Amino acid sequence: MGARKPMPPTDLDDLFAPEVIADPYSYFAQLREADPVYWNERFQLWVITGYQEVVWLLRHHELFSSAIMKHSTSPPYPPIEPEDLPLFDEVREFRGDQLVEQDRPEHLHQRGVVHEYFTPTAMESWRPFVRDAVRELLDELEPLGRMDVLTEFAASLPVRVIAQMMDVPYEHRDHLRELADSILYMNRGEPWRLRPLTEGMRGIVEYAAPLVEERLECPGDDFISILAQGEKTGVFTRHQVLVNTGLLLFAGHETTMNLICNGLLALIRHPDQWDRLRADPTGMARLATEECLRYDPPVKSTQRIAAEDVELGGRTIRKGDRIRWIMAAANRDPSVFPDPERFDIGRQPNPHVSFGSGIHYCLGVALARMEGQEVFGALAERFPRFELATEEVEYQPSIQFRSLKSLPVTWKQGDR
Amino acid sequence: MTRRLDVIVDHSRCVGNAMCLATAPGVFAHNSDRQSEVVDPAGDTEEKILEAAVNCPTGAIRVEVAESGERLFPHGG
Repeated sequence: MGARKPMPPTDLDDLFAPEVIADPYSYFAQLREADPVYWNERFQLWVITGYQEVVWLLRHHELFSSAIMKHSTSPPYPPIEPEDLPLFDEVREFRGDQLVEQDRPEHLHQRGVVHEYFTPTAMESWRPFVRDAVRELLDELEPLGRMDVLTEFAASLPVRVIAQMMDVPYEHRDHLRELADSILYMNRGEPWRLRPLTEGMRGIVEYAAPLVEERLECPGDDFISILAQGEKTGVFTRHQVLVNTGLLLFAGHETTMNLICNGLLALIRHPDQWDRLRADPTGMARLATEECLRYDPPVKSTQRIAAEDVELGGRTIRKGDRIRWIMAAANRDPSVFPDPERFDIGRQPNPHVSFGSGIHYCLGVALARMEGQEVFGALAERFPRFELATEEVEYQPSIQFRSLKSLPVTWKQGDR
Repeated sequence: MTRRLDVIVDHSRCVGNAMCLATAPGVFAHNSDRQSEVVDPAGDTEEKILEAAVNCPTGAIRVEVAESGERLFPHGG
């Protein structure tokens, strides 16, 4: 063996290092090798990177609480400006009342109200709407020869879909987009981020309040009417109806943006896979979307809090301990995925955990899948090849979301 | 007389979302991997069983008429 250049020592506790934000996969692979159930001393939390451990944890909801806002006393990280601390209470109140933060039995009752709206069969009826929206957006962009995929395409699509699901007028889209963009600060690192975030939260509550009144009077089959119906039957409080309307906007917006951007970036960086998709866009779109979800998932990690002392992977997690489970790491666990670092749009089976597992399994899964299929299929159908119009892409400094700051691309016109 | 059904859970798809256990508790239960398993295909009404199948977020539940093999859900599959 020749002399190897020594690797720089890695600080396994530095969750927010710029290198980890740029490339979470190498770091989490190191963690998984060190210990799939790793205690991070600096941030005082467990980091779960093994596939089996992640799935086991998610399916034992009675041992691992989702009510983070209620149970966690830790300050926001990265730190915020001290005078913004009262705003954090507002964030707690808003998020703490959302469906994702509930445990059983409340979670079951609340999910029961909205569950039917998002089933695979129900979402299939939305496919023509999504297909038309994708076509309209690309019709406008195609002649330009360039776009920032993030702001000009990926952020526009989910807002159109969500506005339709709320059954609000076409002209409200711009306002909804503004609110959605403010709520994106949930995920950012700026010390002043709670100001735009809370503005967005108040904005959505203010926007949704009269709609809820209206839908209580004359219910339709839209999402707000479904939530309002839950208030009538005593499952939701008014505040819960309002913050869960906000949840639809937030959860449906950023995750879809990331799926489109991260997926397209992977396809651009793997021209052989792009060609494979182009050869059969309709046939390959479904599996390709799953591989995009596995390879560079919209959400990298989420939290839980131990509800009691529990053994996991030979370690003892104590009641009240904070836990971060890393879907981005589980998705590349070599014990489950052969050749996990390879981007293979035909990969099958592909049991990635990008939508989680267990009782909190992503409510919007069927919508997300369908949007991904329609987008990747249409892009491959219309564009021979994209070129990245930047040397290096940058990511938002978030431990939770895998969000690009922008994705500028160009293409040659007329050689379809 | 009510017809007998075959209810099949595809374990390569089931993520243990447990909504089927809430909808048709007489039919479905969790196994040790917290995946859904059919304990009694006649444990609830046909309507409840179909509701559970249609509402499964991963489409993991298949329902057939035992006698004829006729597929009730998913359609056209």
